Amino acid sequence: MTASATRVIAQPKMKKPGLSWPIILIGSILVLVVCMFPFVWMGLSSIKTLKELYSVPPIWWPAVPTFDNYYKVLFESNIPRYFLNSVIISVGSTGLALILAIFASYGFARFDFKGKPYLQAFILVGQLLPTAAIIVPLFITLRVLGLVNTYWGLILVYMIVTLPLSVWMLTSYFRAVPVEVEEAAILDGASRLGVLFRITLPLSLPGLVAVIVYAFVTTWNEFIFALCFATDSSVKTLPIGLAEFSTEFNTDWGAVMAASVVMTVPIALLFLVFQKMFVGGLTAGATKG
Amino acid sequence: MKSQTGLLFVLPALIVLFMLIAYPVAYTGLLSVTDGNGHLVGFKNFAAVLKPRVTTQAFINTIYWVFGSIVFQVVLGTLTAILLNQSFFGRGALRAITLIPWVVPGIVAATTWAWMFHTEFGIINYMMTGSGVLQSPIGWLTNKDTVMPVLIAINVWKLFPFVAIMVLAGLQSIPNDLYEAARVDGASFWEEVWYVMLPSVRPVITAVTLLLVIWGLNSITIIYAITRGGPANKTLITPIQIFRLAFESFQFNQAAALSVIFFGVAIVVVFIYIKVLSAQPGEAK
Amino acid sequence: MRSKRTAALLALTVSALTLSTAAFAGEVVWWTPNWGEARAKELAGKFEAANPGITIKMEVTTSDGLPQRVLTALQSGGAPDIIEVQHGWVNGYAQNGLIIPLDDTIQDKDDYAKAAIDYVSWDGKLWAIPYRMETRAVVFNKADFKAAGLDPDHPPQTWKEFVDAATKLTGNGKSGFAITGGGEMGNTITGSLPYIWMNGGSIISDDMTTATVNQPAAVEAVTFYTDFLKKGLSPASTLENDGTAARRLFIAGAVSSYLGGQFDIPSIRTENPAIDIGIFQTPHPDGKETAGVLGGWSYIIPKDAKNPGEAKKFLQFMNTSENQGFFTDTFPVRISSQAQPRFNDPILAVFKSMLPFARPVPIHKNWVQISQAYFDGLQRIMLGDQTPQEAMDQANEEIQALLDS
Repeated sequence: MTASATRVIAQPKMKKPGLSWPIILIGSILVLVVCMFPFVWMGLSSIKTLKELYSVPPIWWPAVPTFDNYYKVLFESNIPRYFLNSVIISVGSTGLALILAIFASYGFARFDFKGKPYLQAFILVGQLLPTAAIIVPLFITLRVLGLVNTYWGLILVYMIVTLPLSVWMLTSYFRAVPVEVEEAAILDGASRLGVLFRITLPLSLPGLVAVIVYAFVTTWNEFIFALCFATDSSVKTLPIGLAEFSTEFNTDWGAVMAASVVMTVPIALLFLVFQKMFVGGLTAGATKG
Repeated sequence: MKSQTGLLFVLPALIVLFMLIAYPVAYTGLLSVTDGNGHLVGFKNFAAVLKPRVTTQAFINTIYWVFGSIVFQVVLGTLTAILLNQSFFGRGALRAITLIPWVVPGIVAATTWAWMFHTEFGIINYMMTGSGVLQSPIGWLTNKDTVMPVLIAINVWKLFPFVAIMVLAGLQSIPNDLYEAARVDGASFWEEVWYVMLPSVRPVITAVTLLLVIWGLNSITIIYAITRGGPANKTLITPIQIFRLAFESFQFNQAAALSVIFFGVAIVVVFIYIKVLSAQPGEAK
Repeated sequence: MRSKRTAALLALTVSALTLSTAAFAGEVVWWTPNWGEARAKELAGKFEAANPGITIKMEVTTSDGLPQRVLTALQSGGAPDIIEVQHGWVNGYAQNGLIIPLDDTIQDKDDYAKAAIDYVSWDGKLWAIPYRMETRAVVFNKADFKAAGLDPDHPPQTWKEFVDAATKLTGNGKSGFAITGGGEMGNTITGSLPYIWMNGGSIISDDMTTATVNQPAAVEAVTFYTDFLKKGLSPASTLENDGTAARRLFIAGAVSSYLGGQFDIPSIRTENPAIDIGIFQTPHPDGKETAGVLGGWSYIIPKDAKNPGEAKKFLQFMNTSENQGFFTDTFPVRISSQAQPRFNDPILAVFKSMLPFARPVPIHKNWVQISQAYFDGLQRIMLGDQTPQEAMDQANEEIQALLDS
């Protein structure tokens, strides 16, 4: 394995045939515009005054850009505290779901056992009931466990929400790893767990990153469970913070938009750093080993 | 031997899910066959929810909504993934930007779109009339022919990044020698897409599609925040109907009955999908 | 091996976490909306000072998702001791056995506006203490009136005058009177139901056995309402507008009048100080009286409240004539509280004059679904799918089915 990996690095990489640059350029611009258009509008709204937000006809650029909304969000609201809560809860539930999902996915991807299709379907059962139906019994469950208004309550709930999809996605990524690689390692005397953590997981790193992103983003933005299960400001999350800019008959849209930017940009930046892991670097050599 | 090892891997997740989901499932089932005082009433609740014509309309709308969204989410998501898999300057930044629609909080995204599509305040009508594309503003969200397509477009915008990221992860795991083999045969780029990339990420795409079906069946944020199922139930989907029954009308038992029906239909769809999948090659030995 | 360890770890964490934070005796957990937070804190502080041994734990609620949050808590037994809810929700809670009656808590019941008391009574018992009430009136732009040759000091009083005024106001990109037809249906019920009432009609009969929404009086009122859109007097966006959107269009200068509440006034003044605001009573058919839907908020005590005794004591403190007038956002329900100076602002005069004409919606267990059927009918008319008579015939049939079930 080492030898072949070195060989790949040593050889000047053969150029893959790719898309021609005009297509890449046009495609990139399209993706950029589609993804950014509403977000730019949100960003512009966050630096407008109240009167400029709703005008007929609409205006693009505020006469005097103001950062009052950001000041309000960062220094005069609960958003910073809720940001911390959201980080704790999202990291906790993502981590927990990931640990369980790695084992379950490996089991589903690599072994054949009785009733597997049924168990795979069972994993999804919780996702098939509408939120409106499970929210009350879930609340009762949390109350019995004493977890209402605690970080752990939301962490567990979000784990149930994200675990099924994480298992399904990881299973498909694990399956893409050639079985031969694992068999070779087992012949060399590696244990099953050793194979999983030293070979399969590193080889599925892009998939793992994708699943982490999924679980994190889902918990980061969830509203209705957080609203019902966290009523104390010590555990409220960011989406609740957004709702707190609304009163009965009015919404401070400038502040909501500023808070949304504050909520969104760090995640995108985090991904900018993480996306470097989106390379199946080992794959080339490994399959030949 | 082997079968037991596999089960051991799977068991922790199954036990945790079972512990937390068993009660809600049983609770919903019980509610669906009882009345407000807890007396058994058989299938009365089911009859009550199936009778109004709005139930049928919601069911048809749900199918329209789910399938309309998924086709575009998968196609656009996969194309974006192929683009983001190329190497070019600024790729990392573009990948991060692609994530934005998905990361923006659902309610805010929905409200922002509703605002941009508004007949009077909306920037979209303003740009289109200003540039001469439209003669006069269109009521995107008030016209019965445009409202559902607009909502589907918003839903596609929100979730195609999810497909793109998932498929991109799959593309990145394709061993180089598969490409090399294709290149020896003198394959063009699009042949490579067709014969190397798509077959390799097929398990990912099938899993993603199933998950999108399930999400689509259970996603109410966008529609509820923008039209609440209106105008005149043109965009009412079954999960919103259940939501209304349970939280607005205090009809807990009828809401549970509708949930059970919904659950039944969904589980049949999922099961057929899994059966078809497991008949395909690509399963591990 | 590994999986066993994971399972054991999980079991450990779960058991460690069950050390819950149970409410202790003497603590009253109070869910209060964010818009009254500052006043709530002040009163809670005063109460705690006067009642050593009782602590008030405030948990702030938001209007987004409040019905879901309250209902989830009430149904799952994890409810606080006091919740503030809209009058209209109280009956659903009462009829499903989720809250306790408060006949023993209310003091000076005769001092309360009867319409509000009726709103939260059912089965001969009082299920909530109403503390706040309001109704709507037409908010208009005085400058627009003058520009259209209308006299802002003599605004329209009858339906005919109203339509004439709206017609004159419409033009040059402005709409005369914005009705609502989208968003939360409550806005449109509040905006259209009064016309049916003024005209002597109703949605269901007084004995709640017969649907009456396709009777001539109701259909005539529905036609009157929807014609504002059909005749182009209300903006093209009507079907996507709720009350807030109508106000924003008014602030933006795109509409000259709309049905608003006193809570709209501060928003208009901050967002567009240039507008000279006028208010008039909702116009009525010639020779008849105006009407409005009663809105407002009440306190409830859930069935599963941990400390109902202390909660009742706190509610009595909150509803002294003085404190109720201090705490409410709009008008207090107690007649004596309405004498407080803050309710004598001239801009509130018309809203105050509408209060005697405010009525509660019918107290029927299926009311939400009944009003949904009516609302769907209104939207079908505005979409151009059906004529008012056809739409109300269909709504009538659906409502009758809900009454019979």
